[in-house]
Amino acid sequence: MSVAAAQWPQPDWLGCESCGLATANAFRHSGEVPGRIQRCGRCGHALQATKPYAVQRTSACVIAAAVLYVPANVLPIMLTTSALQKGEHTLLGGIHELWIGGSWGLAIIVFIASIAVPVLKIGVLALLAWSVRYAPGWRRLERARLYRLIEAVGHWSMLDVYVVVLLAATVRFGPLASVAAGPGLLSFAAVVVLTLLATWSFDPRLIWRGASAHTVAHSDSPVSATTVASR
Amino acid sequence: MTMSREDDSLLVCEQCGLPQRWHAMHRREIAHCPRCDAIVGRGHRLELPSVLALTVAAAAAWLVAVSAPLMSINLRGGNEAATLPEAIVDAWSGGQELVAVVAAITALIAPGGFILLRLYVLTPLLRGSRPPGFAWCVRALHQAGRWNMIEVFTVGVLLSLVRLAGIADTSPGPGLFALGALTMLFAAIESAGLKHLWWQAR
Repeated sequence: MSVAAAQWPQPDWLGCESCGLATANAFRHSGEVPGRIQRCGRCGHALQATKPYAVQRTSACVIAAAVLYVPANVLPIMLTTSALQKGEHTLLGGIHELWIGGSWGLAIIVFIASIAVPVLKIGVLALLAWSVRYAPGWRRLERARLYRLIEAVGHWSMLDVYVVVLLAATVRFGPLASVAAGPGLLSFAAVVVLTLLATWSFDPRLIWRGASAHTVAHSDSPVSATTVASR
Repeated sequence: MTMSREDDSLLVCEQCGLPQRWHAMHRREIAHCPRCDAIVGRGHRLELPSVLALTVAAAAAWLVAVSAPLMSINLRGGNEAATLPEAIVDAWSGGQELVAVVAAITALIAPGGFILLRLYVLTPLLRGSRPPGFAWCVRALHQAGRWNMIEVFTVGVLLSLVRLAGIADTSPGPGLFALGALTMLFAAIESAGLKHLWWQAR
């Protein structure tokens, strides 16, 4: 890792994650010194050019989430008992039931929350973790936007977890009608939490390592902030 | 390393690390990073007293949301109603301990902690001073905001109601209305931001 760390120049300024104050990077000439941490003079938060082990942590969580995504889809997430029959419902099965029941809007909402968002998160984070190392200059703006997208929509995949927990707590009429959480629910909840942790441990500043300061996003955007020449 | 040069006329884009100059922004103005297009600043729409008032309202809504039934169902004379803590305890005793923990953190503890920390931080700030442990509180508020999924939970309750409507007689409880109010209050409070709390008092 020391080779990779030496390859990229240190930024001149560091912004505090907690209070936002800008401080000159004390290690900008020396590179990072192991065991020494620069702290924000106002709030005491550690100042880092990038989060430590961001790619490793993201990769680990993404791989774990991808593995657990299999039982989350194969095993039933909900078990139902009624006077007539016992039923097992998987993630996709529940969406199918909503669809054939005529609730197309709901089926689409649940499909987006339970299938599209987790798959998007796993795919995008895997792409980001890979490209930071192997294609650093490739479509930086689009990758930055993808990261912000999954950061914004990520927690919506918790929807089905809440629905099963709520149904299990209200439908309690013994053999007449009852709902219980199935073994797949644990895997699915773990996928949701792992993808959230993967998103938060990734550092979008890695996308911009080695980029020039003058890549302007929009030519028509109002000049609301001016770039500062490095001192 | 003993002398650190700070410059409060600069801001550094959180998303890409590009340093840029602050400028005064009018209400509703949103500043974007010229390099990565992330939002780097907003003209503040809410003053400190308004944020505190919204937080007090959120505390009241939260108390209702966690104590009143979210929904109730009738089936052949039998009646069942569930509150949020009951649903979590039910998941725990039903053998889904980890799911119960995740639900408790995201729907109960994080929103509650968010409100309590906001109240603890904002009340002394209005009088111009920072409470003890201010730096820790701001960081904890950041985490509480991340784990707070009350808006997803609200949609989850609505979805459960619709799913049950076909098989039983269902009705929304007062807790659901409190959750709806809470969702909107959280959105308003979060739009006020966190970092600017550091610029309110010395």
